[in-house]
Amino acid sequence: MMQRLIRGMQRALGLHHPGRNLEVWPDDVFILSFPKSGNTWTRFLIANLVYPETPVDFSNINRLTPDPEALSKREMARMPRPRIIKSHQYFDPRYKRVIYVVRDPRDVALSQFHFHRKRGLIEDGYPPEKFVARFVAGETSPYGSWGENVASWLATRENRTGFLLLRYEDMLEDAAREIKKVASFLEIPADAERIANAVRRSSADEMRTLEKSQAHLWSSTKSTRRDVPFVRSAQAGGWKTGLPEGAVAQLESAWGHLMTHLGYELLSPARTTIKNFDSGFAETMLNGPSR
Amino acid sequence: MIYGIRRILKYALGRDIAGRTLAVRPDDTFIVSYPRSGNTWTRFLVANLLRPQEAATFANIERLVPDAEAQSSRYMRGISSPRTIKSHSYFDPRYPRVIYIVRDPRDVALSYYDFSRKYRHIEDSYPLERYIGDFVTGRLISAGWGTWGENVASWVFARGARPGFLLLRYEDMKARPEQELKRVAEFMGIDASPELLKTTLDRSSADSMREMEKTQAKDWVSTKDKRADIPFIRTASAGAWRSKLRPESVAEIESAWGNVMAQLGYELVTRTVARNAERKVESAETQSAATAVVGESRGEQRGEPRG
Repeated sequence: MMQRLIRGMQRALGLHHPGRNLEVWPDDVFILSFPKSGNTWTRFLIANLVYPETPVDFSNINRLTPDPEALSKREMARMPRPRIIKSHQYFDPRYKRVIYVVRDPRDVALSQFHFHRKRGLIEDGYPPEKFVARFVAGETSPYGSWGENVASWLATRENRTGFLLLRYEDMLEDAAREIKKVASFLEIPADAERIANAVRRSSADEMRTLEKSQAHLWSSTKSTRRDVPFVRSAQAGGWKTGLPEGAVAQLESAWGHLMTHLGYELLSPARTTIKNFDSGFAETMLNGPSR
Repeated sequence: MIYGIRRILKYALGRDIAGRTLAVRPDDTFIVSYPRSGNTWTRFLVANLLRPQEAATFANIERLVPDAEAQSSRYMRGISSPRTIKSHSYFDPRYPRVIYIVRDPRDVALSYYDFSRKYRHIEDSYPLERYIGDFVTGRLISAGWGTWGENVASWVFARGARPGFLLLRYEDMKARPEQELKRVAEFMGIDASPELLKTTLDRSSADSMREMEKTQAKDWVSTKDKRADIPFIRTASAGAWRSKLRPESVAEIESAWGNVMAQLGYELVTRTVARNAERKVESAETQSAATAVVGESRGEQRGEPRG
């Protein structure tokens, strides 16, 4: 009761993190992704693109692309509009303009494994298979499982206006090409120089250098281990050497169909059991035995 | 300021509406659907299955299968586990077990129109065609549930085919109630005898619910203070859109959600949309070129609404 009274006061004063209960405005743009899918890189790219006069770093990124999990309700409400908001939320119908970044879940799992070490949530010797089992069950983050998060957005918004899908791997291949899509999505005039600057200022090397001097300033790295970096390999395919085969099998068996839909090649296609993007999928569910 | 203090107190006392801030328990089961899709019928069915000693009524349904979006946090805390909870929410990963009911959006739209008049959200003179436009674009007053397509697709594709998810079609429930009720019983872990199934169906029939509505509407949170001349329990049938909706309205709905409708076995009557949906579904089917029975062909097979 006392605790609820204190929380109630915080709420009334707008001092709590709004998170999912964020008040949404029609002109809000969202940079969304499951955690560890290149969201921070995308924030840097977009912030550098939209605000070329302000070099983006870890001390101003929360102001340029506000995060409703890190800022208070009051701060969120005072942000200049249109806001470009960063979030990891699963489907929310109120978000009308969405840039969704997706990444191979095998790399996402590996990255989150290291991020949880960084945050001290797991020990260094924690078995990756065990982590991946929890990852598949959606127990390693409050935003649903990877598959739930991705499918909830794709199934409702893919190929509709107001939704731009970016693949992390495509961004690695040609960041300028992908950021041009963002520019036209945001209706920002973008000449080659502006794009090149945004890409250069947001490079992995640049971000690594910034992290070294600013990790203590940023909400996501503030009280975490310094010996494990936030900006990690910034590569695709690390799972091939970084994840044991059993862990890869778990991921492909849970989401193989969704992965194929997104163009991620499977090690063992036959393992895929849930074909939720298959034409016969709904029919199977309607007739299938209850579980 | 006064408003602020009232809010603080409401929250501290747990008088705030639970809704999406509901504290979910690991053994909760949710009955979820877009509004006007047979949720209340399913609530009655489940309540009558779970507690045959106490027939479900509009006076006790909020105790048997409470509505998370109408009851307070405190009320929801007071319900003993395992709870069965009614919701219209779009995908929420915290819901551990979900019975999801889907209904032909062309019938949902018609039913919603009457419901909106009952709730005085629109006047009787509000044109149906205009309402269908609002329905498709999500401009309804009660728009907190996403559009029909968003609500359905977010659940079916994010959670479908996982353990703990049961998908029901309203039209199947009308066509073969015993069979579908058995699936519900199995899902709830109830070993239902043929007598229990029969009693449950009788007690939850449209006629029986209509009788109860007449005397109990004033006692139920969802009908109290609403227009009494428009019933909450409406036709309880499938396929009325065929005679009641204009072709343009049907086309509007189908062009917005044709793909999802086809996947769920609802026959599309707008030709071009049907062909597009078929193509879309095929392209989504990336791996096995197996059964491409979609769109119109599947409609003929089993998607025809039966009334």
